[in-house]
Amino acid sequence: MSQEKIILKVYRYNPEVDEKPHYREYEVPSEGIQTLLDALFYIQENLDPTLSFRFFCRAAVCGSCAMKVNGISRLACKTPFKNLVERANGRPITVEPLNFLSVIKDLVVDHDKPFDNLKQLQIWCEPKQPIPKKEYRISPEEVKEYERPTNCILCFACYGSCEAVMDDPKYAGPFAFSRVFRYLLDSRVDEDHKRQMVKNAMEVGDIWGCVQCQKCIYVCPKGVRPAEDIQNIRGKAAEYGFKEYPGVKKLQHFVDWVYATGQINRLALPEEVYGVDPTPLINKFKERGAEVWEVPKPLSGLLEFRDLILEVMKEKKPHLDIDFRHVRRIDKKVEEVFNTDVCTKVFQQFEERREDFFSRFWKKISEFFGAH
Amino acid sequence: MLEYDVLIVGAGGAGLYAALWASQNPKIKVGVMSKVYPVRSHTGAAEGGINAALANVAEDHPEKHAFDTVKGSDYLADQDAVGIMTKLAPEIIYDIEHRGVPFSRLPDGRIAQRPFGGASFPRTCYAADRTGLVILHTLYDQTLKQGVEFLNEWFLLNIIHNGERVLGVTALDIKEGGVHFIKAKAVIVATGGHARMYWNRTSNALGNTGDGTAAALRVGLPLKDMEFVQFHPTGLRKTGILITEGARGEGGYLINKDGERFMKKYAPEKMELAPRDIVARSIEKEILEGRGCGPEGDYICLDLRHLGEKKLMERLPQTVEHARVYEGVDPVKEPIPIRPTAHYSMGGIDTDKYGLTEIKGLYAAGEAACISVHGANRLGGNSLLDILVFGKIAAEHAAEYVIGVEHLPTDGMGYVKREEEFIKSLMDKEPKENLSRMRREMGDIMTSKVGIFREEGPMKEALNEIRELKERAKAGLAVVDKSKRFNINLVQTLEFLNLLDLAEVTTLCAIERRESRGAHYRLDYPQRNDENFLKHSIIRRKEDGTLQHGWKDVVITKWQPQERKY
Repeated sequence: MSQEKIILKVYRYNPEVDEKPHYREYEVPSEGIQTLLDALFYIQENLDPTLSFRFFCRAAVCGSCAMKVNGISRLACKTPFKNLVERANGRPITVEPLNFLSVIKDLVVDHDKPFDNLKQLQIWCEPKQPIPKKEYRISPEEVKEYERPTNCILCFACYGSCEAVMDDPKYAGPFAFSRVFRYLLDSRVDEDHKRQMVKNAMEVGDIWGCVQCQKCIYVCPKGVRPAEDIQNIRGKAAEYGFKEYPGVKKLQHFVDWVYATGQINRLALPEEVYGVDPTPLINKFKERGAEVWEVPKPLSGLLEFRDLILEVMKEKKPHLDIDFRHVRRIDKKVEEVFNTDVCTKVFQQFEERREDFFSRFWKKISEFFGAH
Repeated sequence: MLEYDVLIVGAGGAGLYAALWASQNPKIKVGVMSKVYPVRSHTGAAEGGINAALANVAEDHPEKHAFDTVKGSDYLADQDAVGIMTKLAPEIIYDIEHRGVPFSRLPDGRIAQRPFGGASFPRTCYAADRTGLVILHTLYDQTLKQGVEFLNEWFLLNIIHNGERVLGVTALDIKEGGVHFIKAKAVIVATGGHARMYWNRTSNALGNTGDGTAAALRVGLPLKDMEFVQFHPTGLRKTGILITEGARGEGGYLINKDGERFMKKYAPEKMELAPRDIVARSIEKEILEGRGCGPEGDYICLDLRHLGEKKLMERLPQTVEHARVYEGVDPVKEPIPIRPTAHYSMGGIDTDKYGLTEIKGLYAAGEAACISVHGANRLGGNSLLDILVFGKIAAEHAAEYVIGVEHLPTDGMGYVKREEEFIKSLMDKEPKENLSRMRREMGDIMTSKVGIFREEGPMKEALNEIRELKERAKAGLAVVDKSKRFNINLVQTLEFLNLLDLAEVTTLCAIERRESRGAHYRLDYPQRNDENFLKHSIIRRKEDGTLQHGWKDVVITKWQPQERKY
């Protein structure tokens, strides 16, 4: 009985001789091959010794063999071939190099750039002084906190899947930020150096470019969760007082406006974050007959709502404090626009619908702060 | 032309730590060359831990660590070198801890230590079961901080020396495809081990092909104790991928098909935590005598179920993952099928206790070197220690040496031309042989005839067969891929030729050692014979290409050989 075969459609490109990339199809046995890496070895050993790809440990610790399989970044040595065959359902399995890195040959991409990002962002331990004679004392709980990011093997599967990298080649990549976060959590690292790493993450690594698509979490073969680590570093940036960065300004906008009015103000965002005057935009809207509120309409029961926010913030210890001078300015604007007194009028309206207010806003506040 | 004061070949733990220490002095130009990116190196696969008598868990002393190491080595280790290693161990652990290695901790915040095979106290510091990974990555981060210069994906072709001093190396730039001469006043060879000669049954990475060791052999340097290859008791049955000794350190049982914890017959006191050579032989014996598990009776079971899911996930997460992915077995619910797997090369380039070879400026460190601190059998947790201690010592020695010497005048073009011609000859040859088939043949020969149990007859056959393979390779093993860029066909062919040379000397040394000691077990000479063989074996290739075998005394300072019982 002849053995079942499956087709691997493999990306081939040798810049020395090929004008452009092409695909070659190889027939490999669909059974008896353990991982995708083994399937590539089968091709190399039996069908075509000129196929280039990286490999080393074949046990998912060295990070050499990340590539794109049916469009998704994977570690070839950790991808069971059986699963691929089953899911392929007779169709070819496509194997390509990782995205966003230049191809050296076939499935081999240039790793220099992402490695260099580690250096540019200065992601390393600068020991806190004084250095003890023996070991630093560290609680097992602290070690547990950075267990996940220290699982990273720098395979760059996340880099090749990253929406931010696609948009912005300067963006350092999810892996780099997980490594930053790992050192931020480490009590042995000098505080000034931690600040420096956060600053680098913003200035050199464009950390605000992350759109939280979460693909890095999905593709990581080692269970690292870069998108979450990125959120945490952003929080740290605010905590460290890096107020001059657009991302932190945006956070400040959220915190202040939500406290002041119960919602964000999209019209004020450009001005507060980038210093862009919104008047031309507002005029354009008005010209076309759109109804434009320069500030959100005050909520009923605003003061009670503010108390709740303060309570939640005390409990959850957010990275950013409310800027009350800013809030005062917002209040003034609201009073001007709606010709009302924020402190008394709104409060009276609230009294009338107290019950309803509680059920709606407890839920919303918890959602908002729970995410930080 | 590339030019360094100190060139380090290999970027695993030994290479990176050497780089950190050599570049302490900013006046010294240090370069690190590796055939892979540094964090790919096989140090990252080391799981269980690193030994040091910190005495954090139980009373301990470097002296006791030294004695355990010497006893574990079956008295073949040089006791002065062992003394250096165990004495420096705590200081080295604190140094890498200060650099950021995330060791597992005791409740009071000090570094945790676990029991390991052959050790009289819990002495092994660890980071769950990925100790090597976090050490490698932390050291890499530190080399970035220190601005170390790297040549990534460069393959060592030859070591160049003039009989007295080293001049540099020739190397292939894998990415671009060109051959280069790299000038250096000092070269530290840290290219790792060569257990890939057991191709199908090894825990080693696909690239652990002893490139530096083979290069040393080619240029007439002596190799030491090449017959000693450690078989790790617990490799996964299908792939040889490692299950850490930490699994037994945490309380795992080895059971045969009758469900018996058979180690009670072989090492009643230490049981599963006897040294690796003893456990590996016991497993193999159970299998050979028909007490193996499974329909074919060809494996033994490592049972971790009684440890419970929580402990397994906390202490041995990688073990659980490996068993699930590569064996299709969930250790929480089922025992793991295992079989001994070729794991570690005790032998290597002959050096003194500073890592220096007989050529000035040429050093070796880590698994590529044989100092020797592991003798006939290495204890678990001592290899990560060895690479750091002797990586540092070699680097400091080399850094001091290069200050006082000038580069030798050479433009290296002659060497480059010779390498280019050799590579061309590999490509021009008519292909009559298949690389992967030959590799498997080599692995089968070595596993069946120069493996855990050895005997003169089969080993002599093996020697002939390996030599035949060499002839066949010479005549008909061609590089089929002619491209310049990232030609893995070329690299793998060069690696295979290295392995063949090392397989030949391993077999020859194994034949010459007519006794059983540590990992070297002779069915025809089952006893240790201190009278004739308490000696290091030395092998070198003479200019006419023949191999010359000899012996060298073992340094014994404190501990006279005793019978080794556990």
